[in-house]
Amino acid sequence: MFHAKKPSSMNGSYENRAMCVQGDSGLVLTTDPKPRLRWTVELHERFVDAVAQLGGPDKATPKTIMRVMGVKGLTLYHLKSHLQKFRLGKQPHKEYGDHSTKEGSRASAMDIQRNVASSSGMMSRNMNEMQMEVQRRLHEQLEVQRHLQMRIEAQGKYMQSILERACQTLAGENMAAASGGAFKGNLGSSSLSAAVGPHPLSFPPFQDLNIYGNTTDQVLDHHNFHHQNIDQNHYTTNNAADTNIYLGKKRPNPSFGNDVRKELLMWSNQDHEPIDDEHRIQIQMATHVSTDLDSLSEIYDRKPGLSGDEGNNCGKLLERSSPRRSPLSPMMNPNGGLIQGRNSPFE
Amino acid sequence: MTMNHPYDDFPHLLFSNNTATATSTSSCVEQHDGISLDMDWDCDFHNLIESMMSDKGATTESPPLLPCYHGQEGIFNSSSTGSSMADELDHDVEAGESKGLRLVHLLVAAADASIGADKTRELTRVLLAKLKDMTSPNDRTNMERLAAHFTNGLSKLHKEANVQRQYGPHQHPDHVYDQVDVMLAFQMLQNMSPYINFGYLTATQAILEAVKYERRIHIVDYDITDGVQWPSLMQALVSRNTGPSAQHLRITALSRATNGKKSVAAVQEAGRRLTAFAESIGQPFSYHHCRMDSDTFNPSSLKLVRGEAVVINCMLHLPRFGHQPPNSIISFLSEAKTLNPKLVTLVHEEVGLMGNQGFLYRFMDLLHQFSAIFDSLEAGPARGFVERVIFGPWVSGWLTRIAITDDGAEVESVASWPLWLATNGFKPVEVSFANRCQAKLLLSLFNDGYGVEELGKNGLVLGWKSRRLVSASFWASCESSE
Repeated sequence: MFHAKKPSSMNGSYENRAMCVQGDSGLVLTTDPKPRLRWTVELHERFVDAVAQLGGPDKATPKTIMRVMGVKGLTLYHLKSHLQKFRLGKQPHKEYGDHSTKEGSRASAMDIQRNVASSSGMMSRNMNEMQMEVQRRLHEQLEVQRHLQMRIEAQGKYMQSILERACQTLAGENMAAASGGAFKGNLGSSSLSAAVGPHPLSFPPFQDLNIYGNTTDQVLDHHNFHHQNIDQNHYTTNNAADTNIYLGKKRPNPSFGNDVRKELLMWSNQDHEPIDDEHRIQIQMATHVSTDLDSLSEIYDRKPGLSGDEGNNCGKLLERSSPRRSPLSPMMNPNGGLIQGRNSPFE
Repeated sequence: MTMNHPYDDFPHLLFSNNTATATSTSSCVEQHDGISLDMDWDCDFHNLIESMMSDKGATTESPPLLPCYHGQEGIFNSSSTGSSMADELDHDVEAGESKGLRLVHLLVAAADASIGADKTRELTRVLLAKLKDMTSPNDRTNMERLAAHFTNGLSKLHKEANVQRQYGPHQHPDHVYDQVDVMLAFQMLQNMSPYINFGYLTATQAILEAVKYERRIHIVDYDITDGVQWPSLMQALVSRNTGPSAQHLRITALSRATNGKKSVAAVQEAGRRLTAFAESIGQPFSYHHCRMDSDTFNPSSLKLVRGEAVVINCMLHLPRFGHQPPNSIISFLSEAKTLNPKLVTLVHEEVGLMGNQGFLYRFMDLLHQFSAIFDSLEAGPARGFVERVIFGPWVSGWLTRIAITDDGAEVESVASWPLWLATNGFKPVEVSFANRCQAKLLLSLFNDGYGVEELGKNGLVLGWKSRRLVSASFWASCESSE
């Protein structure tokens, strides 16, 4: 239920009971003797948008809706009955007496019948309203899910950018202070998201990442947005896989004597505070991709899109797929002190 | 001088009858060298201790409700954890003193001693020393690590009390973490818990609905932090508006004098970042920074544009390391009312503001709250980092706050923010179906055990098992038009 679905095509793919043809105007009409308009999801969405633009179902009129929608072949008659149903759907307790012509009402009822999978006989008006309400709710839930995904993504991108900025500044400061090339490499823009940025589909929970060893048998399921899987919490995605990889990386960084994961483990076990700058930078770096170190024996998986390749697991550490950049390129220059050293927004 | 440690007798006092009766504990109320534990060690506190003593694995059992939550149970009842309070009572408590229980004892004792008269200072010191000895931020169990942070916080309070108590608003944490550390930890926290984003996304959804047909939107943000709340709003605006129907967004962010020039710079930086983001997605946007030079907010210092819809955004649930006097919030909300806001979004933690309940009660409530949050966080290697960077200072900040208000130096005049709003000229704005849907969807991304509950008609509460964590509510000024 939570998968993002594209709106069904105009050919009524989600329901193929009645025969439908698509006219020149793009409207879907049924093929029975008296052609009736099929209100597809897409058409309905446009309708809803138009109504919203006009200030809601109470303010919008069929005429203005028709104009705003701009769909050829759509008549006032179609819109009148659909608008009425829409209003009913929004206010299920509305008095029946408010309805317009009986003819219109009867037509509405028949429209709904056609649109519903049931082949039972005439439905009562109550059922119609409930159907509308249920459909409306389902539609809304899908919308909510779609919107949430996009919003989370936007937020993630933003967080990534501010963290990048902060790291650059800090690294710049450390460049001045540090003695000799401890930190090579660019901060790949996709890399920071691995540490903290929420993937469009989920926030990768760290618990699922086995950073202390190979998990060749661990299948990380990208699209596991399933409601049913909440017990396992495998909301891992490419992002998570990347994080896993990054954290488990062997960094040829000269300052690191060991595996970075050991370093991390040591670090997290120590009871020392504060972390000195060098360590902290390196920890952070450990969560970034550094793609231009020649001596890397293991290369990171390039963060794939939602291409649906299952089982993007850590066993693929050895795939060389990240874009090559010039080695030993200097750290990005700090952007002229955009972030002053120790400002904490949390004070 | 031999110290009589009344609290060492607690295990026997509490469990001598091996039942849940409260009578056996009432003997705690005794006088020992001038120390009196004037507390109502009733049934529920007993349960609290018992629940905290279980060190099974990395999580504790769900803490039972404190008395004040009985009336607000909703979906948050212990049956959701599969065990009822009765079950917990039947545990074999005589299987030795578990460390968790000892820790709670000691913490509460130390807290109580720390606010006592002069004579208890030595006791406090001893108790805190003992606690420090027993805990560390790297311990295995949640309770141990949390106790370490609380110990730390209490120690700071104690130290300050011995020196000269400063009623100033700004605390100097022991370890000043770099901004990048804090930012990193903050973002990691968002991956480990919906705590922060619940507030952000719920408020954003309400805002989107309220301003749907407005051409110009003006958001006055009390505490913008990094500005993380707003990109999702911008994205939503861009995606639903096309062409000429684009809505213009303006944000005015406040910086408060009490936080010094650091916060000014942070607010300005947030503005730059948001402006860049808005530009990258094509959202018409402008940003303003408004300084609150004292605790009072002056609406005339805002730049207003005719025809714009004003939204007041008040995120009070974020980890704060310093002390935030409630007066500035009160002033802000009162004055903001004169702007006739179309919507006021208020998100706050469900802790701390209890009116005049006394330090110890609030201390325990705080302990309860943070236990729940600790339990709710997803496990993982980043966790220790987040606990150190965020939770340590957060706990300390809270402790300072409740200690100061207990002193009487500051009156915690607001028992509950929603109540305050309701009685000060604001009317509730209903939560939509879409908003409830979104909240539930958000929670499904995290650990099992989170729940969302309705708070009247105009709010939602995020909770972990039986504990409410953070609530979001929506209001409008009584004069604003719908």
